[in-house]
Amino acid sequence: MKKSIGDNMIPKDWGFERGLELVKKAGFDGIELWLGDVPWFQMGTTDAQVRELRRKVENAGLVVSNVSTGLHWASPLSARDPAVRAQAARIVERQIETAVLLGTDAILVVAGLVTEEVPYNEVYQRCVEALRPLGEKAARAGVKIGCENCNSEQRFLLSPREFWQFLNDVNNAAVGIHLDVGNIHDTGFAEQWIEIHGPRITRIHLKDVLKHRGRSGDQSVYTNLFLGDNNWPAIRAALTKVGYDGWLIAEMEARYRYAPDQQFYDTAQAMDRLISGRL
Amino acid sequence: MISSWGMLMPPSEVAARAVSQWLLLPIPGPRVLPESFQGYASALPAERSGCDRCSLLIVPAVLTIPLDGMQRIANALRNGATVIIESGGGFAGDLNFRQHRRFLREHLQIDVQSPVDLWKGDARRVPYIDYTWPHAAKVRDFSRVVPLGDHEGAIIAWAGDRPVGLRRQVERGTLIFLGSPLGPALWAGDAEARRWLLGQGFQ
Repeated sequence: MKKSIGDNMIPKDWGFERGLELVKKAGFDGIELWLGDVPWFQMGTTDAQVRELRRKVENAGLVVSNVSTGLHWASPLSARDPAVRAQAARIVERQIETAVLLGTDAILVVAGLVTEEVPYNEVYQRCVEALRPLGEKAARAGVKIGCENCNSEQRFLLSPREFWQFLNDVNNAAVGIHLDVGNIHDTGFAEQWIEIHGPRITRIHLKDVLKHRGRSGDQSVYTNLFLGDNNWPAIRAALTKVGYDGWLIAEMEARYRYAPDQQFYDTAQAMDRLISGRL
Repeated sequence: MISSWGMLMPPSEVAARAVSQWLLLPIPGPRVLPESFQGYASALPAERSGCDRCSLLIVPAVLTIPLDGMQRIANALRNGATVIIESGGGFAGDLNFRQHRRFLREHLQIDVQSPVDLWKGDARRVPYIDYTWPHAAKVRDFSRVVPLGDHEGAIIAWAGDRPVGLRRQVERGTLIFLGSPLGPALWAGDAEARRWLLGQGFQ
């Protein structure tokens, strides 16, 4: 398995290149680029500028692990407004395009949001219908769409079996699950999700959670690896069982208040311990 | 009352008419709400679809209807059919909505107000449209409604205190206008929405 971390973790006043140096020095193999979440990678970033990002990543001795985005929280594929839906689809398309330019084969999509206003059945149907053509585009580009399990925040696809059924309904091998082991504690156990989804897992987000602090989505729930309640030996065993050998991507929601670079080192070392199984 | 396409509009009658066959009127160009079209198609019995002289004609999520479509509607009403015109104006931009409102006024004598975003602001609300005809039904709103203004006919649906559904007899037929799309609820599997639709005379 290889280690990656999001470019949105780079301290705001550091800039991309300095951040890449830190990521490499801390021992990561790659970097996750967040479309729309960082100043250097926006929807308006041109192809040439994206190629330049790739050059900088490779010059730092890294590769791009995947392309993620938080833009779908504001513009979900499940929106009722056709104009918002069109924008959401365009975001996914741009993720696919930039993934190809950046030399990676996976993107992260937050597929749908259930709200008081937009009910579950509508969100389900709309996401399935949106992901079918997007999955075809992704397949043509050699990219996989990983729908992230943001269970509690999305109020959507709350159990692993339901997520499985959802992927069955989308019925496209290019659409799988970007599994976040820190988003499961409200309703289940990360190791069981890994077992159930196995070959459909496109990438894995790592973080730890403190159950007594409440639901996912509340920032105070998240903590550094091994400080929380995830059963890391069970997670590691499940990864072995399903033969997962892809990217592990640190998504540390809570940031160090001081010495922010130290979090990169600590996280990389914890990931090494997880990968080696010395738990 | 005489419509702009020359049809006599007597007062409303009450009973839903029996439906033998139904048709979704095809409108050229991209669909405003594709899920609405799919919703009606999925909810109605397939074996009774696609007729030339049907007794239920539905125009899902529409802004304007071209002349040939209006002629089909006129013929259907003349022949005693029920015609459901579902507004697609809720999410239309200003220009499209103005065209929609003008179309409704000039061709169907339906006066509508600007779309209302039912979910604007922080206020929590009861997310239902209340239908009163052909039977009472509660169907989820679709976030935005196109309320009726001055109207000729019977109000058959409400979003709170806003009238959003109209029934009017036109010649031998019945014209129904829905200012809150029903199709997306059908598409999402809403049993009440389906029951309401099948209540339009399916036996």
